[in-house]
Amino acid sequence: MAATTHASDARAGDRPQVTLPRVVAAEWDKLTSLPATAWLALATVVAAAATAWALGLFARPDAGGSGAPTAVAGYVLAQLGFLVLGATTGAGEFRTGTARVTFVAVPRRIPVLVAQVVVTTAVAALTAVVALVAALAATAGQRAALGLGLDVGDAETLRLLAGFVLYQTGVALVGLGLGVLLRRPDAALVAGVLLLVVLDHLLATNPGRVADTARALLPGAGARLLQGDDRLAALDATALGPHLAPWTAGLVLAAWAVVLLVAGGVRLRRHDVT
Amino acid sequence: MTATTPSSLRTRPTAARTTSHGPTLARVVASEWTKLTSLRSSWWAAALTVAVSAALTYLSAQASSVDPGFDPMGSLTSGVLLAQVPPLVLGVLVGTGEHSTGAFRTTFVAVPRRWPVLAAQTVATATFALLAAVLAVVAAVLALVPSARSRGIPLDLGADGTPRVLGGMVLVLVGTALLGLALGALLRRPVPAVTVAVLVVLVLPVALVLAADLASDPLAASASASVPPAQAAVNTVVTFLPAGAASLLTGEGAVEGAPDLGAWGGGLVLTAWVAVPLALAALRLRTRDVV
Amino acid sequence: MIQVEALTKRYGSVTAVDGLTFTAPPGTVTGFLGPNGAGKSTTMRMVVGLERPTSGTATVDGRRYADLPAPLRTVGVMLDARSVHPGRTAFRHLRALARTHGIGRARVDEVIGMTGLEKVAGRRAGTFSLGMGQRLGIAGALLGDPGTLILDEPVNGLDPDGVLWVRGLVRGLAAEGRTVLLSSHLMHELALCADRVVVIGRGRLLADAPVQELAEDAGSLEDAYLRLTAGAVEYRGRTAEETGRAATGGAR
Repeated sequence: MAATTHASDARAGDRPQVTLPRVVAAEWDKLTSLPATAWLALATVVAAAATAWALGLFARPDAGGSGAPTAVAGYVLAQLGFLVLGATTGAGEFRTGTARVTFVAVPRRIPVLVAQVVVTTAVAALTAVVALVAALAATAGQRAALGLGLDVGDAETLRLLAGFVLYQTGVALVGLGLGVLLRRPDAALVAGVLLLVVLDHLLATNPGRVADTARALLPGAGARLLQGDDRLAALDATALGPHLAPWTAGLVLAAWAVVLLVAGGVRLRRHDVT
Repeated sequence: MTATTPSSLRTRPTAARTTSHGPTLARVVASEWTKLTSLRSSWWAAALTVAVSAALTYLSAQASSVDPGFDPMGSLTSGVLLAQVPPLVLGVLVGTGEHSTGAFRTTFVAVPRRWPVLAAQTVATATFALLAAVLAVVAAVLALVPSARSRGIPLDLGADGTPRVLGGMVLVLVGTALLGLALGALLRRPVPAVTVAVLVVLVLPVALVLAADLASDPLAASASASVPPAQAAVNTVVTFLPAGAASLLTGEGAVEGAPDLGAWGGGLVLTAWVAVPLALAALRLRTRDVV
Repeated sequence: MIQVEALTKRYGSVTAVDGLTFTAPPGTVTGFLGPNGAGKSTTMRMVVGLERPTSGTATVDGRRYADLPAPLRTVGVMLDARSVHPGRTAFRHLRALARTHGIGRARVDEVIGMTGLEKVAGRRAGTFSLGMGQRLGIAGALLGDPGTLILDEPVNGLDPDGVLWVRGLVRGLAAEGRTVLLSSHLMHELALCADRVVVIGRGRLLADAPVQELAEDAGSLEDAYLRLTAGAVEYRGRTAEETGRAATGGAR
């Protein structure tokens, strides 16, 4: 065939050239080339730090107590930023039509989703670490004045701090799964807020065995990673549902992310990209 | 038709033609109403509002009907929070729809003064949301009937300020749709607009209350009878959010440690949440180019 | 080479493409014609694997698109010029696309130069005019130096200079032995740059013949096209006079 005179075709052979590392590099490039990503990360960091600082104003003096709960207290607000990150990464291409270009370049499609998971995890974890450091810095003066320590060797403190990063990364992946599944960023965002915030709040206002069990199985259950031991005990004292250990609750969030991403992957493979 | 048109009509002066053929506010409203009702998503939003309102109210009433002191009216407003979501999203979609699809080019060429379009969108959205809201409130009342009947408690809609609660529920749903519209018209892009809308309406109140909870010592809070200062501060902030306004309007009263603005105060707060972004959006329409 | 065999696509009860068979051979510019809604874009999307055929096959160089080891190096595609995130610059858009195939930066700069986008490569795609978006789409199609090109309305929105450039580009690509499948509604343009045309209507093949042959039989390519698609046009505008006649006719 005449077309094979081109050097690239002669080199190509049958070895797949669209490798996962290349697709990851492309997705990384796409995410970091949007100014919106940087603004979103900045807003998320500011939200986490500002909430922690504002609540630190009201913290009680407690010599020898841990400052970690105050530092991570901004997670409820900050999680919206992570949800938006995931939802726009997963669904934004379908809204703008970039999906056509992307899936013409990677027709097997699933590598794109895998790359999006890698890139979203990296950006979310990085943003969460920065947000955590910012929250710690914002509350440093308050913690010193109140005698609240921050002993990273303490298992509970470590769980709260690591939990902040893990929880937010999980929320971003839930957003990504919803985005790929629904293909509309606004719909994915609303669905994520319903799952993570509103349903939990509604069930909390109607406590009971069924409601409490459902709450323990919603993705927001992962937030138990961010609660101190005494607070978990206080919560469990009134809850009729299963009392999940913090790390088990974290797995509930992980399971939601996995199920949503798999469902998104199935839709991505089966459905036409228009 | 054409054959019977008097020839005088064709020779009318130009000025008269502009007033009779140009875009009057009523015509722009009619045009926006057509746009709103011709979208499938509008009808989905309306149906969801009614369905969510009915389902949640029914479930809540059923769940609490076993309590000894059961009052069916206590469950009346339990669906409002979730029922706000479809009107909110509908409002955002109407507000951003023109800008995200490029349809605004057609619209603003037809109505070069632009602000009548925003006014007309407000009227059309308010009317559509009002219909959905009335149906949703009727559905909520009907959803109370099974549990009330099972306990033999009569439903008295005339008593105890209930009419005010019913009216408040309608206002909250309409106001939420208009808040969505205002934010959509101001921000123009659907994702930022939806983000800000769910942040203000749904996430912020829950986030603040939970965060205050998290930061305050649980043992100390339950021991002392007074509201901890962190919570009082947070509750004051929440009162001035749409959620606080909603609970004042639906007769749930003020939260602990926060000023009680009353139903009128709540209505004013909600009105401000609609009016300020709408005014900013109108200003942006007038002073900035649409591209 | 693009081979389409008995290709069919149904959306529910609507049949968009109905048993379509044709071949776009190498070394040739194949024009792809049909009225609005005839199924041209759907066919192109099925060839590049964005949509799944209800039945039939579409292959490039004898393989299904999804089985190609390096899709962009085999097929260059421009389906819709507005397939770019408005917040991303043209350069970053092309570079992300290039990265999926390990295509180097030099080639990205090269296609930017070929399409005349040097001055605007650092600007966000959202600020582009229709013609600039079109050039960016063509740049993406050329990125992998492919042996086959699929271009949907490539001259749409281009200035006369750009139209001339596209004409020279596709002629040159075909002369190098590449396959070019190009859809357009501009008959005059196609008569100048296509070697053969595939005409479809309502998803079915109406004609597959050399341009020369069709033009000679009917007087011009446009006349040939209008004659071929006379029974297959779904959306037809009417003159004001016709509309008036229809309205008074209906009133009676």
